[in-house]
Amino acid sequence: MVIEWMQFLFGTGFLIFGMSVFVLELIGIFKFKYVLNRMHAAAIGDTFGLGMSLLGLMILSGFKFVTLKMGLVIFFLWMASPVSSHLIARLEVTTNEHIDDFCEQTKIADKEDESCKC
Amino acid sequence: MSRPISEEEYKKKLLNRVHLWIRGEADPYTDNIETKELHDNTPNEEVLERHQEDREQVIKDVFDTENNKFYKLFFRFYKVASVMCCVVLVTLLVITASYLPPKGDPTNPVNNEVAAKYIEDGMQDTGAVNIVTGMILDYRAFDTFGESNVLFVATCTVLILMRDDKKKAQKNTVEKKQYEPKADSILQQITAVLFPIIVIFGIYVILNGHLSPGGGFSGGAIIGAGLILYTNTYGFKKTQEFFTEKTYKWVSFCALSFYCLAKSYSFYTGAHHLESGIPLGTAGDIISSGLILPLNICVGMVVACTMYAFYTLFKKGGF
Repeated sequence: MVIEWMQFLFGTGFLIFGMSVFVLELIGIFKFKYVLNRMHAAAIGDTFGLGMSLLGLMILSGFKFVTLKMGLVIFFLWMASPVSSHLIARLEVTTNEHIDDFCEQTKIADKEDESCKC
Repeated sequence: MSRPISEEEYKKKLLNRVHLWIRGEADPYTDNIETKELHDNTPNEEVLERHQEDREQVIKDVFDTENNKFYKLFFRFYKVASVMCCVVLVTLLVITASYLPPKGDPTNPVNNEVAAKYIEDGMQDTGAVNIVTGMILDYRAFDTFGESNVLFVATCTVLILMRDDKKKAQKNTVEKKQYEPKADSILQQITAVLFPIIVIFGIYVILNGHLSPGGGFSGGAIIGAGLILYTNTYGFKKTQEFFTEKTYKWVSFCALSFYCLAKSYSFYTGAHHLESGIPLGTAGDIISSGLILPLNICVGMVVACTMYAFYTLFKKGGF
């Protein structure tokens, strides 16, 4: 009985926390003005919010095969989503001519790769 | 507690702004988000004139309207002919539509026994737990065969249109490098982990097509997406080690011909009330439901190859 209540409380707690992270992400996307800043807000929702929501769902569903599948979903999205954001950021850095107006760059000469600190 | 407020005070309130936003009179986000300016796309008179001249020149060169009497006549009556064609088509379609049964009649051909038969006897006849797969790969297998062939024909058409043949390739050998993606070590590390997972998931979806939602089309699309990811990460040279034009041809050919032969056999024996000799197995096992599993694999291979072939053909005009 106590374990079921604990499961319910923790599950819904994580779920609601994840949802509020999503709300923060939405506000950030519409409040920020520059691409890289907005992408940062979106990435928070994609990783932290999604992870917390799925963790809540995993706790709620109990110890089943579905739980393992949800864990795999978290693993896949945490692998894929940051990398795609990284590719978009690289595209912005390489194509934007006036990027120095928004952030300072440090160039790594030997790797021919540009990283950006905003 | 309520007290009247002036109009200016009301305009500053949140409620008013929300009201304006809902009515579409003011957007709170305009001039707030960084956007690129749109290009002015109104066509220049000079450009329009030049296009018109080009078009006339092309028509003159291609059809040789000055010497060819037929094309001269054809262009003269082109508009009349097009209107005539449309009228004939519309008449045919309207006549056909007038023969359709009235709406809402319970004795219409839509409400026949076929749907009920599929749902009631589907599992017994086909051995597939997933009724949809049982339908598309058993009762209506030739329909699915046509769809797979449509994919193959579409790739052939794109091949004809976009192919970078040897004559063209000699001309622009310098630009070959632009097709190769920029080597990104982060992407490469992640793809090394994700690519096998994506392919295994695709195979799982294909093999479980008769047990759970999914099947050849969706699983093939997943594998094709995995192949595209691999190409985008490591470049075309790495992909060519295991996937060339020859692979595409042979995989498509083998899958389509196996599908055709297997289903022809099964329909032939079925139509003549003969024993086909294909065991259905127990419903729910991976190896069950007769021909559905191998046909699913065939469809999956065709779809995966088509997805990848489209991508490479549009990207660089060749495998």
